[in-house]
Amino acid sequence: MSQYKIIFTGPVGAGKTTAIHSISDVPPIKTDASASDMAKMRKASTTVAMDYGIMNLPGGEKLHLYGTPGQERFDFMWDILVTGGIGLVLLLDNTRADPFQDMKFFLDTFDKFISDTTVAIGVTQMDLSAKPTIEDYHAHLNNLGIKPPVFAVDARVKSDVSLLIQALLYALDPGLEG
Amino acid sequence: MDKNKNPLKVALHGMNERSYKMMAMYLRGPCKGVALVVNSNSAEVDIFDADSVTGQNLLREHFESKSINPAIILSLNDHPQMANALCVKKPVKTDDMLAVFAKAKALLGQNIKSPSLLNSVNIAENTDTILASSKKTEEFSDIEAEKPVLKKYVIDSDEQKKTSKHQAAMQLNEKGFGAFIGNVPGIDVNDPKQFAKANYNPKDYFQGYVESAFKVSREKGQNRQLNSGWNPLVIFPGNNEVWLDVDESQVRSFSGIAIKSTLGSKMSVTPLNQEIVDKGGMALERFQSMDVFLWKVACWASKGRYPVTIDIKKPVYLKSWPNFTRLLVTPHALRIAALLIQCPRTLPNVAEVLNIKPQYVFVFISAACSLGLAGQVIKEADLLVQSPEIKPNKNQGLLSRILSTLLGKKA
Repeated sequence: MSQYKIIFTGPVGAGKTTAIHSISDVPPIKTDASASDMAKMRKASTTVAMDYGIMNLPGGEKLHLYGTPGQERFDFMWDILVTGGIGLVLLLDNTRADPFQDMKFFLDTFDKFISDTTVAIGVTQMDLSAKPTIEDYHAHLNNLGIKPPVFAVDARVKSDVSLLIQALLYALDPGLEG
Repeated sequence: MDKNKNPLKVALHGMNERSYKMMAMYLRGPCKGVALVVNSNSAEVDIFDADSVTGQNLLREHFESKSINPAIILSLNDHPQMANALCVKKPVKTDDMLAVFAKAKALLGQNIKSPSLLNSVNIAENTDTILASSKKTEEFSDIEAEKPVLKKYVIDSDEQKKTSKHQAAMQLNEKGFGAFIGNVPGIDVNDPKQFAKANYNPKDYFQGYVESAFKVSREKGQNRQLNSGWNPLVIFPGNNEVWLDVDESQVRSFSGIAIKSTLGSKMSVTPLNQEIVDKGGMALERFQSMDVFLWKVACWASKGRYPVTIDIKKPVYLKSWPNFTRLLVTPHALRIAALLIQCPRTLPNVAEVLNIKPQYVFVFISAACSLGLAGQVIKEADLLVQSPEIKPNKNQGLLSRILSTLLGKKA
């Protein structure tokens, strides 16, 4: 049986681990390591390998949910991760200094994978930092020549993560019926 | 220290973006109710990271300005005692931090009563000692600390109490459509023979007045209120917020009635009556995003019809995906958006391709047009291009199973 995956990516602290936790049918397997110094105040650990969760589908099939490590130095693993992936969920932290730079970095990194599949973008922490707005993200994406779904997302809220994945699926095939 | 009563207003200095965020989150977590991060101008206490290069300069400036604000210095090293400054050794421990906040509050009280005391202390000498000691720690400081702080944000505890503004979307299915959106008696909007009549003019409804009030408010950049002989709709364009002290069911009913001929003369947009704000009665849970509010109002006015500004025989385009996690998700709205984002199509064509009732397409277009996300194609060249057939994805079966699972798992 083929391994089907959805890949969650984005910078450190964008909510990848939490998002996978929100929709996984099994407790996600985390491969976090201790974060240092000030990082401990906010997040006791950070993902250095990958996160993994499962969605059980009808008929015993499984959808694998993989979260990439946030640190760029682990990017050699990303090529391995995306093999068999059906789409990319990019989570961006709106409180970071330049989320557009983050967005461009991840879109460039996964460029080939996105052109073969598609991407849906979730912007997290908008209750802490309302700007840039979702419209600002669309304006930047328009300049890049793509029109993916971009939603405000609270990674802890299952329905937010679910809607983002639904949009990813419909972007792949608008004719889908649930 | 009493929690949740008059938290100390603190400003953070000399921290890179990441450290700033960590510290702000920390104060919102273990120190919740004791300290609140605000802008420098409103701060009562200034917190410095003495181990960063910018932190040292800012600390020097703070002492040279003889500010009455007590300084809290975070450092890896021990620092000498000095007036109006309190030190916390890294890694920061919650007990230490809480104790220092209590001392800072006491100091602040003294400073307000006798600000002249500050001038009698030889601050400059002690500052140099502190800075010399901080330099030792430079080698440990994060490389990022030397980068300028590009973005600061203030955690606004009120913002997080605006539950309506940040709540997750409501997803309507076909069964819930009639009850929540309503329908128009005397017309079958799903009958192609009646399509020509299946439209409505938003200007006849509350929607039109809200759109107009939003436009004026945004253009002028002023807080305004829309008066209707009912409770006023208060508009804050700077925050993209509205406030209305009315239950949603009442807004729904009001939005569904053509009011131009009856209430039209009573509708007006005026500058915000400050009394509404000063009375302190603006319940935070009544705040909503302007877009979320207008989207709903448009759905309720539409009742499954399309706006009169749309020619049903010509294609419409979708500029970008609506922010569905915060909007009312009408039946098949995601599918319609996914299809229209690919290329413009006529409304009946969308319904036909997706094999859905036209009313779901009409209501979606009404809402999307109200936010300026959708519009009519006007270029002749685009009108001549035939809308392509959609090709099923090679994994359609798998995607459908994932979708079914997600829809069954809605929170």
